[in-house]
Amino acid sequence: MAGPVGAGKSTFVRAVSEIAVVDTDRQATDETSLLKQKTTVGFDFGRLQFSPDMALHLYGTPGQDRFDFMWEELISKAHAYILLVPANRPATFRKAHLIYQFMSERVALPMVVGLTHTDCEEAWSADNVAIAMDLAEPTQRPPFVEVNATEPDSVTRALSALIQQYILITGAA
Amino acid sequence: MVPNTQKIQMLLQSLVTNSPEIEGASLVTLDGLPLASTLPGHMDEERVSAMAATMLSIGERIGEELQKGNVGRIFVESDQGYCMLTSCGDDAVLLVMATTAAKQGLLQLAIKRSVADLKLALG
Repeated sequence: MAGPVGAGKSTFVRAVSEIAVVDTDRQATDETSLLKQKTTVGFDFGRLQFSPDMALHLYGTPGQDRFDFMWEELISKAHAYILLVPANRPATFRKAHLIYQFMSERVALPMVVGLTHTDCEEAWSADNVAIAMDLAEPTQRPPFVEVNATEPDSVTRALSALIQQYILITGAA
Repeated sequence: MVPNTQKIQMLLQSLVTNSPEIEGASLVTLDGLPLASTLPGHMDEERVSAMAATMLSIGERIGEELQKGNVGRIFVESDQGYCMLTSCGDDAVLLVMATTAAKQGLLQLAIKRSVADLKLALG
């Protein structure tokens, strides 16, 4: 799970993990504190037995770019990733785009964009977010899914979309 | 109380200048923002601070998970020197980098003294 601050990465992992989530939350003292009290400074780790023969290890990254060494560390061993983007905070779309670029420069992995906070009044549509993130070109546009990171069912659906994308791209069954 | 930033900067400066083996020191918040630093020129203060916070948080998680209680210090020994992280009150952590020439006892003592002074200056 990658994405800007406050997209819902830690919440996403917590929503479906069957083990107690390993988190590295600390009191936020930067502009993050305007949004929430705590922020991830290492990573979140959770696990989900998706089917009898498939277990997912879920890693949540920190959102602030000063932690980009953790993005690098985590993405280098990932099999796929979800880029979570808060649809109600257009100011973060550029950050999300930069994270996408950061990942794309290092790995070619199956991915989907997970739009969070879509129930908020100011939320942008998937099409408009895609345009803002410079991903609107049909050949470039990854799948977009709406996800409520607090809802286990919704998170599971987003993970299904990611697994489908993984199978599609890698040909794994 | 408001942290005395001038005093903090001075304490880090004297920690680094008084021991030739100490190459740099940085005091950072637990969410990885620099409070004050004296670092070798090529090092990026923001990045170093974030790394210190990550290292401490993961170390503390390990301490917790393996039932070893609270982490007071994290020590990284590499072939080209040492990195030491020492918790410094409730809001900060001190990162010290030293060369392989550093004597462990002196290093620990210098850090212990600095931490005591830094805690006071942090308020």
